[in-house]
Amino acid sequence: MNVGQAIIDGTREVFTTMLMVELETGDPIEGQGGDVQANITSMLGLGKDIRGMLAVHCPENVAKEITGTFLGMEVQELDGDVKDAIGEIANMVAGNLKIFFQENGQDIELAIPTTVVGDSFHTSGMSGATRVAVPFTMNGSTFLIELKYMNAT
Amino acid sequence: MEIQGKMIEATREIFSSMVMMDIEVNEVMEDHGPLNDTITGMIGLAGTHKGVLAIHLPYSLAMAITSSFLVMDVKEINEDVHDAVGEIANMLGGNVKTILSEKGRDIDLSLPSTISGSQYSFQSDKAVDKVIIEFDTGNGTFMVEMDLEK
Repeated sequence: MNVGQAIIDGTREVFTTMLMVELETGDPIEGQGGDVQANITSMLGLGKDIRGMLAVHCPENVAKEITGTFLGMEVQELDGDVKDAIGEIANMVAGNLKIFFQENGQDIELAIPTTVVGDSFHTSGMSGATRVAVPFTMNGSTFLIELKYMNAT
Repeated sequence: MEIQGKMIEATREIFSSMVMMDIEVNEVMEDHGPLNDTITGMIGLAGTHKGVLAIHLPYSLAMAITSSFLVMDVKEINEDVHDAVGEIANMLGGNVKTILSEKGRDIDLSLPSTISGSQYSFQSDKAVDKVIIEFDTGNGTFMVEMDLEK
């Protein structure tokens, strides 16, 4: 089961169908490290056969660019539209991961996206979980999609 | 209303048994502004009810709780504090899911996650019913928030 590849495929599909953008993809990072500085992070919980947390970490410029492309207009600040757009990206990527886990015989249920916005915040997860993060580049700017998970007992 | 009562009960129970703190309800709120010098522990709820449960602790209180957990002096917001706050969110989630579904069997918990920072906003993106309860420990206040999809 290649979770890194599932994140890559699931994310690229969302960006080609919803934003008509071909993302450049970096190598999946397993374990700690590989943080990007984020001004907006949308997180969405996964439960049932797999317990997990999916996070989309975006610097401000990428978040505005994604939202602007989504809405077809220039976005000036990290407002409600940006939160909604990044939350929706998290939701759609999680939906694709749900399908991937299903194909591997694991049923998962999704929670709802929650978005954190600030100039300097730090996110962390439960120690002991598996962490896979993939950097993506859109028009020269990088954002990170991260999944932490473990098998439910 | 019933959910509110159970959230209060669950939080008081965890604080008295795990943290040895007796807490009182200060206020029930519908919204909160940006969080300052705070650490948030959150956990997703999936299944018949979808949502997020979160606890927002000021740094000073988070360090006091972690110190009491680990029986050692914690003086900064380090990974120990993140782990302790994530674990409290996990326990709250375990407690609250039995409120929302009989024996908790129709609700699945995600992994907990934590956020810390000098200032950030925390907001669910869907249309949600929000319950926010502020508690007083006698040594600072904190909030427990549940956002359930409508």
